[in-house]
Amino acid sequence: MEHKSVAITVTSGKGGVGKSTTVASVGLALAQLGRQVCVMDTDIGLRKLDLMLGLENRIVYDLIDVIEGTSKLRQSLVRHKEYPTLALLPAAQTRYKEEVSPAQVKQLVDELRPEFEFILIDSPAGIEGGFRNAIAPADRAILVVNPEIPSVRDSDRVIGLLESADLEQIDLIVNRVQPGMVKDGDMLSVERVQNHLAINLLGIVPEDRRIIRSSNTGEPVVLDEKSLAGRAFNNIARRINGEEVPYLDLEETSLINRIKRIFHIA
Amino acid sequence: MSFLNMFGKEKERPTAATADDRLSLVLSYQRSDIDERRLKQFQARLIDLCDEFGYDVVGQVEIRPQSRPKDNTTILNASIPVRLRANADDEESADL
Repeated sequence: MEHKSVAITVTSGKGGVGKSTTVASVGLALAQLGRQVCVMDTDIGLRKLDLMLGLENRIVYDLIDVIEGTSKLRQSLVRHKEYPTLALLPAAQTRYKEEVSPAQVKQLVDELRPEFEFILIDSPAGIEGGFRNAIAPADRAILVVNPEIPSVRDSDRVIGLLESADLEQIDLIVNRVQPGMVKDGDMLSVERVQNHLAINLLGIVPEDRRIIRSSNTGEPVVLDEKSLAGRAFNNIARRINGEEVPYLDLEETSLINRIKRIFHIA
Repeated sequence: MSFLNMFGKEKERPTAATADDRLSLVLSYQRSDIDERRLKQFQARLIDLCDEFGYDVVGQVEIRPQSRPKDNTTILNASIPVRLRANADDEESADL
C-alpha cells in the first residue's frame, strides 16, 4: 500500500501535562477514522502508554529488543484488540535511555513507515537525551502545554530546540483548561498561551475528571461519549487527518451551570 | 462563603493577569539569553555612550527586556536618566 507516512512527536517541557493521554487518545481516534497508526513510547525506563491503552498485559518485547535484534519489529508491535489498525511499540521499563541513540530510533521509525500512515511518538519530559531520541525521526511535533507559567516557560525552551531541529511543523495543544478559572481571571487563557508561544493552535482540551477514570480502566477517553476532553481529542485527530473542525466551546451553557456560576460555586 | 464574598468585596487584580506579566518577563529573559553579567556590561557601555554624547547619567540605568510574541522577538527597553552637560566654554564665559 502506497501512502505518505507522517511521524509526529508529542512532547512538552515539563512532565505531567498529558502527553501520554494525548498520544493514546489521538492515536485511537485516528485508528477509529480508519487510519493505520503506530503509537511509540520512547520514555525508556518509565513507560506509560501501554497503561493508557490497556495493553500492559500483552507486552512481550519492547523498543530496545528491536534495536538490539532480540526480536523482530513485527513481534514487538502490540495490536489493539478492538481497533487492529492501532499498534503500540512499547518502551523498555528495565533499561536506561542511554542505551538508545537518536540514529537508532530514526532507523526504527523508517522501518515502521511503509506500514503506518501516522507514527505518534510519546516523548519523555525534559530536554535531555530521551527528548533528542524522540525528535530525531519526527516530521512534525505537537507540544502539549498546560495554561500555567512553568509549563509555558519550559515549552518555550522546547520550541527553540524543535525549531533548531528543522521540523516541518510545530503545533500546540493547550491541555487541562478550566473555563471557570479562566472566566474568573485565575487561569491563563488559551489566547494568552498561544500569544506567548506564537505557534499554531491544534486543539484545546478541558480539564476532565473522566480522564482519571479512563486511565484507571485503560480505555482512552475518546471512547467515552460523555467526555468533553474525549470530544476535544477526537477533533484534534480529525484536524491531523486533514479535516477542518472548529474548536470546542468550553463554556457550558446549561441553566444549572449558569446558576452555579452566579453563586460562584461552579 | 463565596456567595457571601460577592458583597462588599474589593475588586482584586486577576491572578491570570499577573501570571501573564510574569510570563512575558520570564520569556523575554529566556529568549534574549541575557545574563546579569552581560546586562551590567551593556549598562556600562550605555553610560560611556551617554558621556561621549555630552550627557551626564544622573540616576539608575534600567534595562528591561520585553517579549513581542507576534514575531518571537525581544525589545530592550532602556531607561537612562540624563542631564545635558553644561558646555565647558559656556561655563568659562559665564564665570567672566
